Amino acid sequence: MDLRKFEERVVKSLMIASTCIVAGSLVFILATILFAGLPSLSIEMLTKTPEGGYYLGKEGGILNAIVGSLVLGVTATVIAAMVALPVALYLNVYLRKGSKFGLAVRFFLDALSGVPSIVYGAIGFTVMVWLGMQASLLAGILTVALLILPIMVRAMDEVLKMIPLELKESSFALGTTKLETATRVIARQALPLLLTAVMVSFGRGIGDAASVLFTAGFTDSMPRSLFGPVATLPLAIFFQLGTPFPEVQARGYASAVVLTAIVLFISLASRFLMRASTKNQSR
Amino acid sequence: MGLNTYISVRDLSVSYGGQRALNNISIDIPDGKITAVIGPSGCGKTTFLKALNRLIELHDGTRVTGQVLIDGEDIYDPAVEVTHLRKKVGILMQRPQVLPMSIYDNVAFGPRIHGTRKKRLLDQLVERHLVEAGLWSEVQDRLHAPASQLSIGQQQRLCLARALAVEPEVILGDEPTSALDPISAQRIEEHLFELGKSHTVVLVTHSLEQARRLADHVLFLYLGDLVEQGPAQDVFDRPKYLRTRCYLSGRYVECPNVDQELNLRGKLTTFDQLESTGHSLRVLGTGQVLKIIVDHYSGDNGVAKALEAKGHRILDVKRLNQSEWEILIQKEGGDAYEI
Amino acid sequence: MIARIAKDRVANGLGRLLCLFILSLALLIAAGLYLRANPVFSAMSLMDLLGSVYWHPTQEKFGMASFIVGSMWVTGLAMVIAVPLGFLTALYLSEYAPARLQDASKPVIDVLAGISPVVYGVWGVAAIVPLVRDYLMPFLSENLPFFPFASDNYTGYSAMAGGLVLAVMVLPILIGVSWEVLSAVPFEIREVSLALGATKWETIKLTVLKKARPGLFAAVILAISRAFGETMAVLMVAGCNLHGLPRSIFDPAYPLPALIANTYGEMMSIPLYDAAVFLAALVLFAVTFVFNAIAWAILMRFEQE
Repeated sequence: MDLRKFEERVVKSLMIASTCIVAGSLVFILATILFAGLPSLSIEMLTKTPEGGYYLGKEGGILNAIVGSLVLGVTATVIAAMVALPVALYLNVYLRKGSKFGLAVRFFLDALSGVPSIVYGAIGFTVMVWLGMQASLLAGILTVALLILPIMVRAMDEVLKMIPLELKESSFALGTTKLETATRVIARQALPLLLTAVMVSFGRGIGDAASVLFTAGFTDSMPRSLFGPVATLPLAIFFQLGTPFPEVQARGYASAVVLTAIVLFISLASRFLMRASTKNQSR
Repeated sequence: MGLNTYISVRDLSVSYGGQRALNNISIDIPDGKITAVIGPSGCGKTTFLKALNRLIELHDGTRVTGQVLIDGEDIYDPAVEVTHLRKKVGILMQRPQVLPMSIYDNVAFGPRIHGTRKKRLLDQLVERHLVEAGLWSEVQDRLHAPASQLSIGQQQRLCLARALAVEPEVILGDEPTSALDPISAQRIEEHLFELGKSHTVVLVTHSLEQARRLADHVLFLYLGDLVEQGPAQDVFDRPKYLRTRCYLSGRYVECPNVDQELNLRGKLTTFDQLESTGHSLRVLGTGQVLKIIVDHYSGDNGVAKALEAKGHRILDVKRLNQSEWEILIQKEGGDAYEI
Repeated sequence: MIARIAKDRVANGLGRLLCLFILSLALLIAAGLYLRANPVFSAMSLMDLLGSVYWHPTQEKFGMASFIVGSMWVTGLAMVIAVPLGFLTALYLSEYAPARLQDASKPVIDVLAGISPVVYGVWGVAAIVPLVRDYLMPFLSENLPFFPFASDNYTGYSAMAGGLVLAVMVLPILIGVSWEVLSAVPFEIREVSLALGATKWETIKLTVLKKARPGLFAAVILAISRAFGETMAVLMVAGCNLHGLPRSIFDPAYPLPALIANTYGEMMSIPLYDAAVFLAALVLFAVTFVFNAIAWAILMRFEQE
């Protein structure tokens, strides 16, 4: 008996240690970023665009990258949502529960969401060249939209799956069409959580560099047109870190703080939204 | 085997996160007999059963007060080794839950955990208990097939074999036949009956017929209270309390109309209580009901017995809380009561 | 009335169309990549492309084996670190942790999952590379001067650094899926085992883990797939120079996705270079797609039971 208890105690300590290590890595990461980046973070960085030679140590800021990322991210997310929401509603309201078609779609969605972003970048590049486009905001938007589409659909699907069958049944029993049930009942019920899914996908899209590497180009100026290149935060960080100048690298760390702050904000906001919405629903 | 195990429950109360499931249950469960626990659904029968092997602790927020003495020691004492307790007290659940392994491994699971490793010993054990549960002939040539392949009736017998393999002294059954088809149910019942001869069996059952068939001793639980208990003959044929009678005859438990209420809190001796009761009864007509509330009640020796001796009928004795009892008396016999 | 039904029909059609689009996406992506990659087969066969280590684009030699092996080193290291940590954590959260701790852990896992890969790379450069360079590498390389520790790369930019960063990156998915799988094991199995006198750990070891095994396996496959495809973070810390195959965990590694990212600038200038790069992308696509499909199939069947 003592051996059994001893074994349990050992394993339990290992488990607790692991959990601490995992939590600790988050702390480690955030601390490193803040420690390395905060000192170099200045108002100037956040409010100015790079003067020529910014990446060689000259004056300026990353405002163009911040704005570029936000514009790209928001637009891509909106486009993806316009496809994702209908698909998720179709899967959950129009299709029957054990539908083979639904199974196939979900299978492909899962598989697609595991595809690395660099592959999406390569495809985006291919289509871009095929259409004769240059590396541009538009190409970037479409590539990121494609990247986050499977993720968003799956997240929305999970949300809608949780809605009890009884709600759909009661709506249909009143003689509604599927479209009406989907839009007026289901989407309404799930709206906050669906928004959460959108926000999480946005966070994923805005932080990704590999998909915009080939497709969005890079520039020192603010986004001016859909067909011109646009600066993005992840790439700005990457380039700044890639220079041999310590001051520029330091600014790279600071940019990382900005990006992390955006993503953290989204994460907390979506969590808050989730909690607020489930409070109001009856269980 | 069953001779020195004796289950004594003293003032057992169980609550789940604020909700009371069992109220001050005190009972002695006889050795080597089959005790049936009857009562409507949701009245604490399963809670009572699972309190006997500390399985209720698995849920967060369970509070247990009181004592359960098995073989003289309180199983809720922090010094008690709970895995050892559960070896002594085995349980058969309502829905058979086989472990995700072969038939052989299911039965061998318990013994292996408790230290038996030798293959030959395990082989013998497995065969013996499968025979005991009446499953051997059906599985002897596929002992290493997954247990999930068995039919539900076979699975329940497997669960019985598995529970018996650790050689418990007490066997608890939580409606073990209610999920089975009639043939499997009958088989399990027969085995339980056999087991009752050498083990202490506590069986929760929804079926009064089953209780009548199997029980030597009966407990009737209603809404967390122990209403009545006694030898099966007595409880079934001559139930004392109104609530028991209602349940046995299939009616909803009635609350009789109370014609007079009497608060005897503070009257500490039986004599005082009887005196006051007598005064009140005098003015009631035959068949009318008097409710008295006392805060000092000494079990069977007390107001109830004395009143019964005088021909009145005790409809109910209910324990309200730690220190108060409510007794419903129906006046029979026409004359004024005399002490 | 008619209008309502008409709208519904249109919506039905639209939904179906979009679903078909999704179904075809995988095919379209694969086809697109293949079309761009095709030209390279005129220079080398598929076997050579995947198996040869001779990567000299100017000589039309596109052997990608070093990159594939580089990916395997980094992924393998990441899994060796992440799997024990991830499983132990998931087990603790699912079986032992009090409800409040469980609730507190979910945001932690979510944030770890949400941090941008570039930021992970930044963290890697700022903290992990120095860690490897100044502590891990000298210590292990001198005390254990044999494979796979001995190395002459003192920069810290190594497979080890890549593995460490990747390990943290895949922890969220590993823990998340494992936790779900463990929670899906019905409570009654634990109850029955405990009722027979087993301790909590024995119950987990002998019954819960057994039941959850396929799902846990799927979690690992998903993590491998994620690790294999990660580009930016690994690119920033793994060294990415071609020195032959890595012979030590402290040697630099050049994983496949990093190849694609790095050669973007030059690939259009050398003939067939771009086709080779697209082949690399196709390989990545195929591997991750298949791995994810396998994991999905396992989890589907697991859910059915």
